[in-house]
Amino acid sequence: MNKKTIYSIVGGVVGLGLIVALALSIANEQEVDDSIGFRPVEVTGAPLPLFDPTAADPTVGLEAPTAVGTDWNDVETTIQADGRSKIVMFLAHWCSHCQAEVPVVQAWVDGGNLPDNVDLYSVTTSTDRLRPNWPPQDWLEEEGWTAPVIMDDQIGTVAGSFGMSGTPFYVVLDGENRVIRRVSGEIGIAGLDALAAEAAAAS
Amino acid sequence: MSPQNVDFYNTLLAMLSLAALAAAVGLVGYRIAAGAEAARNLLGGSAIWLAWTVAAVATSGSLIYSEVIHFVPCRLCWFQRIAMYPMAVVLLVGAIRREVVVKYYALPLALGGALISIWHYLTQVFPSLEGGSCDPVNPCSSKYVDVFGFVSIPFMAGTGFIVIAVLLAFYVRTNNE
Repeated sequence: MNKKTIYSIVGGVVGLGLIVALALSIANEQEVDDSIGFRPVEVTGAPLPLFDPTAADPTVGLEAPTAVGTDWNDVETTIQADGRSKIVMFLAHWCSHCQAEVPVVQAWVDGGNLPDNVDLYSVTTSTDRLRPNWPPQDWLEEEGWTAPVIMDDQIGTVAGSFGMSGTPFYVVLDGENRVIRRVSGEIGIAGLDALAAEAAAAS
Repeated sequence: MSPQNVDFYNTLLAMLSLAALAAAVGLVGYRIAAGAEAARNLLGGSAIWLAWTVAAVATSGSLIYSEVIHFVPCRLCWFQRIAMYPMAVVLLVGAIRREVVVKYYALPLALGGALISIWHYLTQVFPSLEGGSCDPVNPCSSKYVDVFGFVSIPFMAGTGFIVIAVLLAFYVRTNNE
């Protein structure tokens, strides 16, 4: 291979790269409404400290904040002291563990495993248009998600107020909105059964 | 940048990556089938320039991802950048000066980078390797890019490292004659 060929190859590849980079840099920006992954939320009450899975949770027995928000259809949901125990599941659309856990949870619910005296809520958070599986509503609708959803705002107000440190993140609350347990990560059917049993016992 | 442009850019880089990987596999196969002499004659001194081209495209591609498209590099991405970026400079200097010694600087970077890329890719395929939950800030197991169902950013980076390593191996043989 002579020098001319070498320079042609190298120049061609680098030139192509520069052209593509330039084209991408000056390409017409199409307005993308990334707000469709967020909704305003309202949180009242003292926030819970960040969850540390390696230590005993100091928030057990503390009252969790009250959170009010809506889903993508603007259906309002409130997580509050309403006399009923609840499991609150925090989800991120791009999180591979959430993507694995959601169908498991939905199948578990569809199988009638959620006790009658326990409610399941969900919060979509850490939403990011640049990450895969966006927007979260498309994903959850595709999975046939039936639990009420609060879409967190851009700064993750709800997740932050519940001390979320990783996704998926579960918070089990009693009827007075006090924390029974917080869990981070995939828990599967056995974990769901355990959380549901604790919630039901506290109801 | 619009999602359509990002998709185009992802696909372009993925195709370049796959083409480079196929070429590297072909080179190794040619070396095995035709012997060292034929392999040396095939590339001659151009191997170092081709290796630099791969490093330059990988470096500029990485910078476009972070500075133009605004993907935030994760921890393992940074380790791979540490390995790739210096090669864009070192290989160019080595090519201009025709110094065989450049292999001693570039090959460890390429091989080390390849190992990190393989581990990163595995954490994307098997997220449990990174733990049971996702870091809400910037987990390494999350895929910003997923082209053809298997080409992600660490896949492309790993391909770049492997191709550079193969080309440097050819360059070394040529200059040891």
